Amino acid sequence: MDAAPNRFRTFRRRLVAAIMVVVGGLTSAGLWFAHRHAGAEAGREVERDFHAALDGLRVVRETRIQALQQRCLSLVQKVRIHAALEDDALDLLYPNARDELSDLMAAAAPGPRRGPAHPATFWRFLDLRGVVIPAEPADDFGPLSAAETARLALPRVPSTPQLGYLWRAAEGSEGGGFDQVITTPIFSTATRKPIAALAVGFAAHDERAIGGESAVRRGLWAEHRLQIGGLAPEARRALDDHLRRVLPLERGAGRATPLTLEGSAYLLLFEPVNPGSDYPIAYEISLYPLAATHARQRRLRWQILALGSLLLLAGLATSQVVAARLARPVEKLAADSAQNIVRRDRAEAALELTQAELQRAARFSADASHQLKTPLAVLRAGLDELLARTDLTEPVREELATLVHQTHRLTGMIEDLLLLSRVDEGRLKIDFAEVDLSHLVASWLDDLSFLPNELRISITTDLPAAVAIAGERRYVSMVLQNLFENARKYNRPDGRIHVAIEVSESVARLTVGNTGRVIPVSSQPHIFHRFHRGAASEDVPGHGLGLNLARELARLHGGDVRLLRSSGDWTEFEVIFRLATSARGPMRSRT
Amino acid sequence: MTPALRRAARKVAGGLLALLLPPCAAGAEIAGRVELPRQLNAPVKTQNYEPVASGGALAPVKPAAVVYLEGEFPPANPAPTVQLVQKGQAFIPALLPIQVGTKVEFPNYDDLYHNVFSFSPPKRFDLGRYRTEDRPVPSQVFDKLGLVTLRCEIHSHMRGQILVLGTPHFVTTDEHGNFRLTGLPAGRFVVKAWLDAATTHARPVELGPDTVLRVDFP
Repeated sequence: MDAAPNRFRTFRRRLVAAIMVVVGGLTSAGLWFAHRHAGAEAGREVERDFHAALDGLRVVRETRIQALQQRCLSLVQKVRIHAALEDDALDLLYPNARDELSDLMAAAAPGPRRGPAHPATFWRFLDLRGVVIPAEPADDFGPLSAAETARLALPRVPSTPQLGYLWRAAEGSEGGGFDQVITTPIFSTATRKPIAALAVGFAAHDERAIGGESAVRRGLWAEHRLQIGGLAPEARRALDDHLRRVLPLERGAGRATPLTLEGSAYLLLFEPVNPGSDYPIAYEISLYPLAATHARQRRLRWQILALGSLLLLAGLATSQVVAARLARPVEKLAADSAQNIVRRDRAEAALELTQAELQRAARFSADASHQLKTPLAVLRAGLDELLARTDLTEPVREELATLVHQTHRLTGMIEDLLLLSRVDEGRLKIDFAEVDLSHLVASWLDDLSFLPNELRISITTDLPAAVAIAGERRYVSMVLQNLFENARKYNRPDGRIHVAIEVSESVARLTVGNTGRVIPVSSQPHIFHRFHRGAASEDVPGHGLGLNLARELARLHGGDVRLLRSSGDWTEFEVIFRLATSARGPMRSRT
Repeated sequence: MTPALRRAARKVAGGLLALLLPPCAAGAEIAGRVELPRQLNAPVKTQNYEPVASGGALAPVKPAAVVYLEGEFPPANPAPTVQLVQKGQAFIPALLPIQVGTKVEFPNYDDLYHNVFSFSPPKRFDLGRYRTEDRPVPSQVFDKLGLVTLRCEIHSHMRGQILVLGTPHFVTTDEHGNFRLTGLPAGRFVVKAWLDAATTHARPVELGPDTVLRVDFP
């Protein structure tokens, strides 16, 4: 019995372990997916953000360029400029253009007047060959170095507006910045052909104005020069190197690619801003710093981990509880079955014991009966001899007659006990044959009628002509004798006995009723017990085995003996026998 | 036609007639036809101002050429005065030949400001903004040979040309290119047909006192 709790403990441990593994696995898988999904989602979100920001900025840039182009377009339609160009008056070109374009560089000029949103840094005319028409004094039209002037030139005069970026070296330092150049052709009013062009430089918009710490960093790359704000010099140099490598190939233009500069992660996107221009191609460079995003992702990862740990803990706790819950009925079942086994074992042991005892008892009563039979025979023979003597006085003779009667009674009792012990031992086998119950009853009643009838008992019958039952005549007679004797014994003076046989489908029911004192209700359950004589007085002959024997014999025949009723001066027993016609096959004898 | 315009036209026509038919009716005569280039300019539409002609479309400048007799001639005395008016946002006539020393008046017959100016080397001037009623009527004396392009600073599409010649013998063709030069002196000359700044045809002629020549260009 010690092994069982251990087994249950192991079982419970295993259950807990299994649930833990499942819960842990599920949680881990869920977390992994959540993490991956969150990571991918964050990446997508970053790219979306980036592109949204760039789209916004692109719109701003294009709007700005369009506005500037529109502005330049209106400038080149000025009549005086046309007059100077078309009427061979180049000496008047710049002075007159200065008047016409006076507000172009207004912000550069001191004064209270508010300048345009995008003041020009310089402007020059290109002639038919695309060469810059010299301006004197240059400072009035925005200073340009000789190199810058040369770079401003185009292969020939353009027929559409051209967008370019001109690197302006800052004075006295290696820094500098790009000027946006918009060169607008001027068409002859007579021939409708381009005869010159106006190139206006605008300061490329200040990138630092857009950049916060986490905002998109934007810059320009043209003529192997990079201008970008918000980057440390080392990172700037690294970006420059990277761009020098990738830009000539135009690999990945218009697509965000990850890039690490001096340990900081960025998304890089570049796209040409002046495709098809006669000026050298320029790229707009956009850098999206990923530091904040990565920090957010790290935070998210930790959150997921913490949440996962919590979930796991909760899962483990739950698995303990669940395992306990699940294990309890199993344990109960196991305990119950163990108890059942014990109980059954006990019952079987008890049964064996009982059987042994029963057999011992039966053997004992059989032995006892046999042992008693011999001395009783001797005793009765002696008594018979005494009674045969003639010298006996009447009182002695009567006394002796009583003793003889008692020996007869004792003999009957012993025979009944012998028979019962055979029944108990299962040694009594019924030799089934067809017995005419009706005839048997009639002959027994006939015998009864020869007995002294002091109580003046009348007998009525209701018997069918012939009822063939299955049984052994000898034992069926014993059953009938017992019931008939009881009916007579316990009758009252002027009483009545009624015997009837009723045949139903497969059985014959014999009822034996008699008037007389009824069996008290409290005694009725016990009347079939051995040596139970109820309230019968000593003067009523019997030894309390008859009903028991009758029932045992009837049951051996596959029938029964029952008390139908016992009330109101009427006691009625019923004996059931099986009909011979239904008793096919081997009889099941009672063991 | 408004009375003012009619008046101006009559004045211009009178001037031309005076030139074409000098009092001495005698003299040589050259007639002919100049092959005019196809009109380059599409009709101009005003963009910035209220339309003065129908639908905002301005009357196209009709093609014309100037045919003149080149040579040494004394300047006219007194210097003649002619008018070149601004009407319907156009210079009328669009091409005006004059002899050097001629004074040209530029009356504005539009109900808006004009600002006539020229950057051309023979005569650079800027009349500033003025209206019809402004007096005196702005004028310029052209004392150098060459082509002067007139523009209006306000109305960029307006173009006028004054061809300053050294000869009093010139005529503007009609729109088909027909011309007739009369009252010409006798002698050897070169007759030229000026079509534009880049195109001038020339033909030497010898004129008798009553020669009547037919010259077609080119």
